[in-house]
Amino acid sequence: MAYSEKVLDHYENPRNVGQLDENSKNVGTGMVGAPACGDVMRLQIRVNDQGIIEDAKFKTYGCGSAIASSSLLTEWVKGKHLDDAEKIKNTEIAEELALPPVKIHCSVLAEDAIKTAVRDVRAKQGS
Amino acid sequence: MMSFSAHKIYGPKGIGALFVRRKPRVRIEAQMHGGGHERGMRSGTLPTHQIVGMGHAFKIGFETLAAENTRIEALRTRLWEGVTDMDEVHLNGSEHQHVPGIVNISFAFVEGESLMMSLRDLAVSSGSACTSASLEPSYVLRALGLNDEMAHSSIRFSIGRYTTEADIDAAIAQVRVAVEKLRLLSPLWDMFKAGIDLSTVQWSAH
Repeated sequence: MAYSEKVLDHYENPRNVGQLDENSKNVGTGMVGAPACGDVMRLQIRVNDQGIIEDAKFKTYGCGSAIASSSLLTEWVKGKHLDDAEKIKNTEIAEELALPPVKIHCSVLAEDAIKTAVRDVRAKQGS
Repeated sequence: MMSFSAHKIYGPKGIGALFVRRKPRVRIEAQMHGGGHERGMRSGTLPTHQIVGMGHAFKIGFETLAAENTRIEALRTRLWEGVTDMDEVHLNGSEHQHVPGIVNISFAFVEGESLMMSLRDLAVSSGSACTSASLEPSYVLRALGLNDEMAHSSIRFSIGRYTTEADIDAAIAQVRVAVEKLRLLSPLWDMFKAGIDLSTVQWSAH
């Protein structure tokens, strides 16, 4: 399988690997995928009172493209407002990483993950 | 019937053989049509040089069979013992009845393709969906009773005539480092460490 340089880079040097306290009111968690599918992503974001994402962390069980998609996503959402973060499209991720057609679903899962995390923190804050 | 493939035992590529029983008769359908050679079973001129190569490979194979089996089985054991002390590592298939040169191992909570990316100079394959064009995990592993997650986390190692102990030791070292690194990236490993039973989790499959 031929991986793009960017996918390889994220695989060798993943950004923002880790966990945030999911019980915190400022933290949104998006856990998507299933082990049976071979893809599970956990994306977490911490927002400030203005709704700006101050920190993001991820962990992924999945192929190189899945790891790269979620790693890239954590880079992209930092500093963004929740409204903008949830607008990130899988096609943007796929293009940035030059994902082949058979790996597009990895970027779709990443888009799901951020949307789920945003929904989660909004629900916690009652907004 | 029995099929033979020359390249699988170090003979030339592009030649094989099919033994077809005479009595009781087996009916087969010709795949190559033409002059009716080989009693109508396979038309076409035979590549004599290839047949000689195949025959010689089989001869060598037969002469070295016992010694090679012992040697390769020992390498297989060495590989398995080099990884079995890690947590949640499972041997797939029978421990005692197997072809010596193939060993299939699941490293739980690490997806097979991502592990293969760290083992690029090794001849390995994975039962993971990500490595098949159809995105289905290996039906062979499923038939062996593995659930989908374990199939996704599996790696098949192939050992052969030219594999050395040094190769095995290098493979073990690379696998250990890669599994550890990928477990640190894995949310499933986190959950396992936290004592969560993954089979009870409600996943939101996409």
